[in-house]
Amino acid sequence: MNLFPSEEFFEALRQRANSDPERWRRLGTVDMTLVVKIDYPDRAECYEIVFAGYRCVRTRRIASPANAAKGAIVLEGPYTAWREMIDNIAANGQADLEHTLNTLTLMDTPLHVDSDNQLDTDLFYRYQENLQQFFDGAAAINAPLVAIAGAHLQ
Amino acid sequence: MPHVSESVERALDTLSEVLRGKLDLGWMNANPGGWGVRATPRDERGLGLEDINRVGAYGEVPDEGSHYGSMAPRGSEIPDDMPSLGCYDINDKSLVWADNVAHLYDEAVARQWSSARDIPWNQLKPQREDLEKAMCQVCTNLAEVEFVAGDMPAKWLWHINHDFHEVKCFMASQIFDEARHMEVFRKRALANGGGLLRSSPDSEQLLRVILEAPNFTTGSALMHILGEGFVLTLFRNGEMFALTPVEKKIFRLCMQDEARHVAYGTMHLKYFLEKHPEREEEIHEILSRGEEATFSLNQTQDTVEARAILAGGGLEHIEEGFHKLGYLFKKQINEYLYRLKMAGIERRSRLAIPFELPL
Repeated sequence: MNLFPSEEFFEALRQRANSDPERWRRLGTVDMTLVVKIDYPDRAECYEIVFAGYRCVRTRRIASPANAAKGAIVLEGPYTAWREMIDNIAANGQADLEHTLNTLTLMDTPLHVDSDNQLDTDLFYRYQENLQQFFDGAAAINAPLVAIAGAHLQ
Repeated sequence: MPHVSESVERALDTLSEVLRGKLDLGWMNANPGGWGVRATPRDERGLGLEDINRVGAYGEVPDEGSHYGSMAPRGSEIPDDMPSLGCYDINDKSLVWADNVAHLYDEAVARQWSSARDIPWNQLKPQREDLEKAMCQVCTNLAEVEFVAGDMPAKWLWHINHDFHEVKCFMASQIFDEARHMEVFRKRALANGGGLLRSSPDSEQLLRVILEAPNFTTGSALMHILGEGFVLTLFRNGEMFALTPVEKKIFRLCMQDEARHVAYGTMHLKYFLEKHPEREEEIHEILSRGEEATFSLNQTQDTVEARAILAGGGLEHIEEGFHKLGYLFKKQINEYLYRLKMAGIERRSRLAIPFELPL
């Protein structure tokens, strides 16, 4: 059982991606660090996802984006938006037209992309298909969502 | 035997000598300092340009390219009688180089896709006429402009010294990327009951400014940073307002390529300005011309109406679409200015076009 959000959830995404090396070989190499920042009313949860070459090499929970590797791109938004995206992927097998990463971030709401400089932000666009397919992997990893934000941490 | 030229006669004589056992084998002792290397892949991605640039002196890129003017590979032994081909007149590394260019080439090679196989064409669905026409007009515009990013590198490619082969390889990969973009937008226009719509005189104006840029660096600033930076946001725009998974995939894959080109252009300009800070004004001047042409192109009625229809979700929502385009324009400008700042040029106070649109 991979509750979202949790280290187990992102580790499951990582293992799912790496379990299909031929698909990732077709998509091409990725060299970036992504921080998923999930905002709650009173706190935030951050997860670092590191990609190198054809693999997702590491996922881990971190205290804040400041603890991530240099050059990390932060993908941030409220829990409700993240939940809706993961729900949508689970229901449809992949993000539908309204729930792709690009769609959710282009108008800077409900999700927002940020980094220390534009060239790092541009990595989000440069590896967009890989990132989309990475998150679309949520459809296959049996990830129920918590009914109340943060309940699984109590 | 038919009559042959002197050079063919000489080659035949040499071959006879070799076949009679009169071997030379001097070439086996050539370039002793470059022998004994063993490039290895850094990981499972295979052996890339970045890897072979880490062995011996082969990765040392000179500030001035070889004066021989030939296609001799960097690091090989060049005989004194090597002829010049007479075309390589861009011999200054600072005029073409970017520190990320080898990495970008390796990435480009790994990320090639096929518009025939990798787009789920069978997922196209009939659309309302206004939406299909809007999508076809956008695709017509994109099919028109994309290959300037093939023609422009091609214009300069055969002037660039072969000691900068990483740049040439990357340029070649860009040309192929843009061929793929031109064909995929043409394909989308012709694949769903619509067709190509109207070409744009304003588009041609911008394309002319890019193609007539006086040197590679100004052309690159116009094309990679300004033009492709704007198109990158258009591709993001296209992905968001896609009608089906087909357009989603097309725009996501194109967006990846475009961001790679922008990355090269930004880092090339940075390298150039670090070496030639006195030429900053030249860049400002060409960007002013390019910004005006780009603005006209983006605001032509055909372009802006089609995009607004898609952004709003139909002709009846075009006003909402205009509002979204206004937000995206501000984003385009800000991202463009940030990239220029990364490259070492502060352009905010000199922008030749509005920061915002009255939309």
